Amino acid sequence: MKKITALLLVMLMVLSLVPAMAEEAEAPSVAVVVAGTLGDQGFYDSSDTGRQKLEADGIASRTTIIECKEDASLYEMSLITAAEDYDIVVAVGWQFWDPLTAVVPDFPENKFIFIDNGLDGVGENLMSIIYKQSEGSFLVGYIAAKLSVTGKVGVVGGEDVDNINDFIVGYEAGAAYGNPDIEVVRRYANGYEDPANGKECATALYNEGCDIVFAVAGKTGEGVFAAAAETGNYAIGVDSDQKFIDPEHILCSMIKSVDKSFYDVVADMDGMFQGGMIWTADMANGYIDVAYGTDDMPQQVSDELKAEVEDIKNKILSGEIVVPSTLN
Amino acid sequence: MDFYSMAIGLMQNTLRTATPVVLAALGCLLTDHVGMMNIGVDGMMLIGAFAAVMGSWLLGSWVLGIAVALGIGLVLGLLYGVFVIKLKSDEFIIGVALNVFAGGLTTFLLRAMTGQTGTFHAEGGLSVLPRFSLSFLDSIPVIGPLLNNNTLLVYISWLLVLACWLLIYRTPLGFWMRSAGEHPQSLRSAGKSPEKIKYLASLLCGMLACLAGAHLSMGYLSTFSENMSNSRGFIAVACVIFGRSNPPKVFLAALLFGFIDALGMRLQSVGISSNLTSIFPYVGTVLMMVLVVWRAERRKRRMSL
Repeated sequence: MKKITALLLVMLMVLSLVPAMAEEAEAPSVAVVVAGTLGDQGFYDSSDTGRQKLEADGIASRTTIIECKEDASLYEMSLITAAEDYDIVVAVGWQFWDPLTAVVPDFPENKFIFIDNGLDGVGENLMSIIYKQSEGSFLVGYIAAKLSVTGKVGVVGGEDVDNINDFIVGYEAGAAYGNPDIEVVRRYANGYEDPANGKECATALYNEGCDIVFAVAGKTGEGVFAAAAETGNYAIGVDSDQKFIDPEHILCSMIKSVDKSFYDVVADMDGMFQGGMIWTADMANGYIDVAYGTDDMPQQVSDELKAEVEDIKNKILSGEIVVPSTLN
Repeated sequence: MDFYSMAIGLMQNTLRTATPVVLAALGCLLTDHVGMMNIGVDGMMLIGAFAAVMGSWLLGSWVLGIAVALGIGLVLGLLYGVFVIKLKSDEFIIGVALNVFAGGLTTFLLRAMTGQTGTFHAEGGLSVLPRFSLSFLDSIPVIGPLLNNNTLLVYISWLLVLACWLLIYRTPLGFWMRSAGEHPQSLRSAGKSPEKIKYLASLLCGMLACLAGAHLSMGYLSTFSENMSNSRGFIAVACVIFGRSNPPKVFLAALLFGFIDALGMRLQSVGISSNLTSIFPYVGTVLMMVLVVWRAERRKRRMSL
């Protein structure tokens, strides 16, 4: 009996190899692994949009998305699960540094794309995409400084880490460029998943006299918008165009096109995929921008100010303005 | 930024942070008195938050939202009771199971029922708890801003603290509850069924925990967000332990937690690193734990003399 079972198991193993060998070329399959949870109306949702577009446009034969729910113990396992079954693995979140270092060498046949952190020297099959979020944050900082009545603006960050601080230093520099006397108050919510806490942070900032707060904290940022609505102040969204959440109180959003960046790479693997390289998606190649929602929403940012922002954008592109950054 | 408005902001923040914890803790302490402490209040809270928002969204009124949350609370309380009392499972295992179950269930239902992920955005807004203000209170400093502009559930939570204290220490039912926990045999010999009393506590716990959730999603915020309870239920359990299941003391413990949290966040503006301020609640937990144990030891020593 035991022998038969063993024989059956061996056959099962052999059989499981057959489809893997039979599968050849055509469109690649893509797995997106996100560090947090979908539904942030920003960073992670943007990566899901990119995934859906890849499948809809027929660039990927099949796709999947795996959520790690901020649980660090799931990172490595999720990457392995994805790599075993999909050709291209997109790891979304700076948190994947160590897990990728461990997993990438074990899957030389797969291609890995690391979003939001620069990791090189691990293998020829890993490419990192980092974003010049400081450039876009500079622009929204400028808008905040120009629209602030109290001369004091705030920012709620998820955590005190380089990636988040990159937004904040850009925002501070932009605000100072718009109004040298502006005061920028920063506060960290210590988490991306707790809107109630985000609301407390923003309420405290508004009570201290800030009238515009930039939310850089994922789902925690939802609480910032709630606080803006409740106190009658303004907020600025992040990562994707978030104005639709509350058009009355969200001035504009800093756009970081995660979806477009890896969509473009997957669509042109031979041309754009550079193994072992760190690629910077910035304003020059159109991945960083400011968005003001759609025309039917109330526009607090005047057309003149929008034109000024365009002007500054060109100055950044030409190198006339150098935006500080905490990365590199 | 003057000192007065800063202090008021701090106190308001404390109160807001403490309210959901107080409601959940009241439920938890009732189960503790009957000897089956429910550490699943965090999960119950999350389900309550979801039920309230869905109720309000589908039925179009916050009153019905609260009613749905309370109804679901009864079901959860019954479920917990059946497993712990009738099927005699370990209450901690069931509590843990409830917490895990709640996270998965609410996420699944949100996506299945609304097609949205993460945070729920109702088209055309959601009917949420109204806020109450009495104009004559505004002229009184400190008390005015603290008492005014709160949602109904904040005031109810204060009344419930008193009601729970009266129930446990001043009524026969409370006496039976405590004996059901400490010495069920004597209760049985007095002709009362400890099981029935335990079921009652479990049902009340479910309702209170779901009320805490409803406050979180419709009073504190005005939307449901996945895992929005964010371990507040565990803080409630800690408060029950610190307050030795005595409602007013538990209330004070919850206020203390809220205060530490609010203070930590504000200390960032005087230049203290957020990484440091985020550990404040946990340092507070350890210190309070030491205090509780130290006092219990001293009492024991005094009794033995």
